[in-house]
Amino acid sequence: MTRTENPLARFLIYIALALFTVYNILPFAWTIMSSIKLPKDANARIPRFTFSPTGENYAELWLNMRPEDFAPYGLALVVFIFLLGVVGFSANRIPAPNSLIYMGCILAGVLVAVALPEVVNTAEFYDYLINSVIVTIGTLCVSLTIGALAGYGLARFRHVVSVYILVIALAFRSLPSLALVLPFYYLGQLSGLYDTHILLIFCLVAVNQPFTIWMLRSFFMEIPIEIEEAAMIDGAGRLRSFISVIVPIMWPGIITTGLFTLLLAYNDFLLARILTQINWTLPVGIAQWTGGEDPGHVTLAAAASVSTTLPILVVIIFFQKYLIRGLASGAVKG
Amino acid sequence: MTKGTFTFFVAPSVFIMLALMTLPLLASIILGMHYITFRNLDEPLWVGFQNYQQVLEDPEFWDSLEFTLLFIAATVPLRIALGLMFALLLDQIRRFRGVFIAAALVPFVMTPVVGTLIFRDMFDRGGPYWYWMQQLFEYRLFMNSTTVPLLIIFHSIWTATPFAMIVLFAGLQTLPQESLEAARVDGASWLRQLWHIAIPHLRSLFVFIALISIMDAYRVFDSVFVLTRQNPIFDAETIMYYNFQVAMNFGRLGKANAMSVLTVIGIFVVLIPFLAMTYREQMEEA
Repeated sequence: MTRTENPLARFLIYIALALFTVYNILPFAWTIMSSIKLPKDANARIPRFTFSPTGENYAELWLNMRPEDFAPYGLALVVFIFLLGVVGFSANRIPAPNSLIYMGCILAGVLVAVALPEVVNTAEFYDYLINSVIVTIGTLCVSLTIGALAGYGLARFRHVVSVYILVIALAFRSLPSLALVLPFYYLGQLSGLYDTHILLIFCLVAVNQPFTIWMLRSFFMEIPIEIEEAAMIDGAGRLRSFISVIVPIMWPGIITTGLFTLLLAYNDFLLARILTQINWTLPVGIAQWTGGEDPGHVTLAAAASVSTTLPILVVIIFFQKYLIRGLASGAVKG
Repeated sequence: MTKGTFTFFVAPSVFIMLALMTLPLLASIILGMHYITFRNLDEPLWVGFQNYQQVLEDPEFWDSLEFTLLFIAATVPLRIALGLMFALLLDQIRRFRGVFIAAALVPFVMTPVVGTLIFRDMFDRGGPYWYWMQQLFEYRLFMNSTTVPLLIIFHSIWTATPFAMIVLFAGLQTLPQESLEAARVDGASWLRQLWHIAIPHLRSLFVFIALISIMDAYRVFDSVFVLTRQNPIFDAETIMYYNFQVAMNFGRLGKANAMSVLTVIGIFVVLIPFLAMTYREQMEEA
């Protein structure tokens, strides 16, 4: 549409957008500040924007007992994570198969994560993080695998059956998850699967599935059918041509869908709250600070909030363009 | 694609949805006909439609439904209006677009429990918003049964406006250029371009955002859980939250199942026109 050339109007537009931006990020910025304050600064009647920062809250959140010489461990951990990132993102330049490098990075990360509690006395919050990571990655793997198969089938098989599946899936998308979780809670109690990762992962996969197949299907629809026809003429079967021809060109669509799945699995509170007893995920762990009025809670809750938000924020900022493309395509139907 | 291959591709997903969505739904209906608490999980007591009747006669259920509908009526139009406003502003500029969009994503992607917690801190005693309100308007904000529902609405707009903004902004980039050119030649003002070209073009996106927003607002839970501090005095229970309380706090699992069945029926009634529309669309394509 026509852009205004009036300098005053343009100035006001920038001011309005800047205010909107401040409004969007101020709470998180304030929380970051609170997380490095001493309780006396965080509980001041007049908000304090200048204070002497402290790492105390993070230490209390993550560690049960602090060894005297924690600094080298912390530093080693930060360097290690940084190195993993560097290796992972420069995989294309290293003369070795990419998949091997990724596998190596993941394996090293898992090993360190598992070994860490042996070296330093980590607090419960660390377990919540591990639970969250397991549940999120499990949900991503299962959901995207079966969702991609179904999305592809639904995109290519034009038949009433496909329409039925799609419409029913859309109806399922609107279900309040409580309607599904209560029977699960009941079955989990009876079968002994209550409070296990498996139950939570499959519940999240199910809740996610309608959205996943709709979104992936709309991405598959954009791929011209000639591509896999060519592969099939060369003698590849449906599954072969799907895996070796379609999936490689579908990565952007899979990443986009994966981001939304990731958000849902990582951010979920209600399902995890009802289906777990002690194997809490991060959002459930944080909820313990939502009720009380204990002054020491403010800084701890802030440190927990920042610790929970940073991983997801880093992932999202890194893959921002995929997320925005997904939102923009309107493929988020349902 | 043959029917056999199709079945092979779709089977795992359909199986998961059958086993983990259809069956639980049916189980919900049947569990709703039993008296179950945490103590008699393995020997539920058949009570027929008593739970359903109890839910329908429960004034708190109707209160929570009323609050939920009020919440939908208050937030959905605001989300769309504000989203459109900021999308139009964003459309006017070239520089810093990426920064504005990235910042808008923060409340949208943040874990809802965390987002609500830090949003609440801003308004709590000693928080910046609380302090500025007191300084600028001499208004001392207390958490009570008027302000807490308002904060719940306010919070939902904070998290959902960016979504509407990004979707509508993307829609604005695909406006039919010929019509805009013609309008410009005819000297149509920005407002007329908006009214006659942009808004009709964005209509399907408005429907889309409204639907997503209604569905999400209908099942809002996390923010209520945090903002009310699980304290009933604030009079701000949504239907999902009350349902959760009946299950986990009162331990009436049977009644909670009956209630969730009734809420599902409620959302389906709203959705039927949309489902019918999608069905027709897809049938034409198939």
